[in-house]
Amino acid sequence: MTAPHVRADPIEEYLTDLSAALHGPARAKARMVGELREGLMDAAADLSPEQPGGQAYGERATRQAIGEFGTVAELAPHFQRELTIAQTRHTAGAIALLVPLLFACWNLAEITDGSADGRLPGLVQTAAAHLGGVAAATALLGAACLAATGTLARRVPTPRRLPAVMAWTGTTAATALAISALTLTVASLLVSDLPMTVLAGALTFLCHAKIAASARLCRHCARLSPSGAVAGGRDEA
Amino acid sequence: MRTDAVRGHLDGLLLSVLEDGPLHGYAIITAVQERSEGALELRKGTVYPALNRLERIGLLRSTWQTAGERRRRCYELTDAGRRGLATERTAWREFTTAIGAVLNPAPEPGNAT
Repeated sequence: MTAPHVRADPIEEYLTDLSAALHGPARAKARMVGELREGLMDAAADLSPEQPGGQAYGERATRQAIGEFGTVAELAPHFQRELTIAQTRHTAGAIALLVPLLFACWNLAEITDGSADGRLPGLVQTAAAHLGGVAAATALLGAACLAATGTLARRVPTPRRLPAVMAWTGTTAATALAISALTLTVASLLVSDLPMTVLAGALTFLCHAKIAASARLCRHCARLSPSGAVAGGRDEA
Repeated sequence: MRTDAVRGHLDGLLLSVLEDGPLHGYAIITAVQERSEGALELRKGTVYPALNRLERIGLLRSTWQTAGERRRRCYELTDAGRRGLATERTAWREFTTAIGAVLNPAPEPGNAT
């Protein structure tokens, strides 16, 4: 005896396929797919207001609703475009927030301070200053990106290559932070204020991991977004 | 009217149906179709990322509302959204005036029969 065949809900099948085609921040993706689910359920109910047996809507109405909403292939580029921007903003926000935080931390540990009684070798101080400069530049780019994809996008079209630029900016920041973490680890062996330096190094490494992961996903999203579209620009119906 | 005809005007359409108050995604789609008496064909699924984008750029704000077991995201115009709608209307009037002048030129006084 075989188990009774359970037919999958067409809406859930459709949303699973769409979800699999999309990449970006999990929360933004879940919100967009969730909204689409509610819309499909409303549309299916609209197309079959009265169903026998207390059913909310029938399979034919569900299929029709899905047809009116568009196939996965038709919708995915529209959703992906917005998710790519969301991921770009996520990466930009991580850089703009974490890098200044690290600066504060480094200053606290007196690692980048040249007046710190000469406790660090000159080479380490120079390296920290250069890496700090790179990190500061990426933080500024991150802040500019947040503005360009936010309210500024009302007036100025968002450059279509911005997600890719931000992804590589994130990679640059993550690389600078990785080298900084290594530098701080070496420095921690040379200074007397060992705990603070170790803490700064560990925090730097954590920030590197966070930004690197975000930048990697941003690169992936940038590759998926339709090349002909202006990111953040007007959509089509 | 084909989906292509709506291209470029979706923002204005979405903002205009929200002028009277907050609506959730499907109610927005229905409102556009009712106002156009079914003449405008929307690819309904594309409305959701468009609403998301309008919220991102500050023309809309949204809140979750619960009705029974259903949770729906309701959108409403921000002050910037109201200004954006006014700009869309002005641009549309100028566009239709210009196109109308070409398609239906006013007869010149000397050529009147």
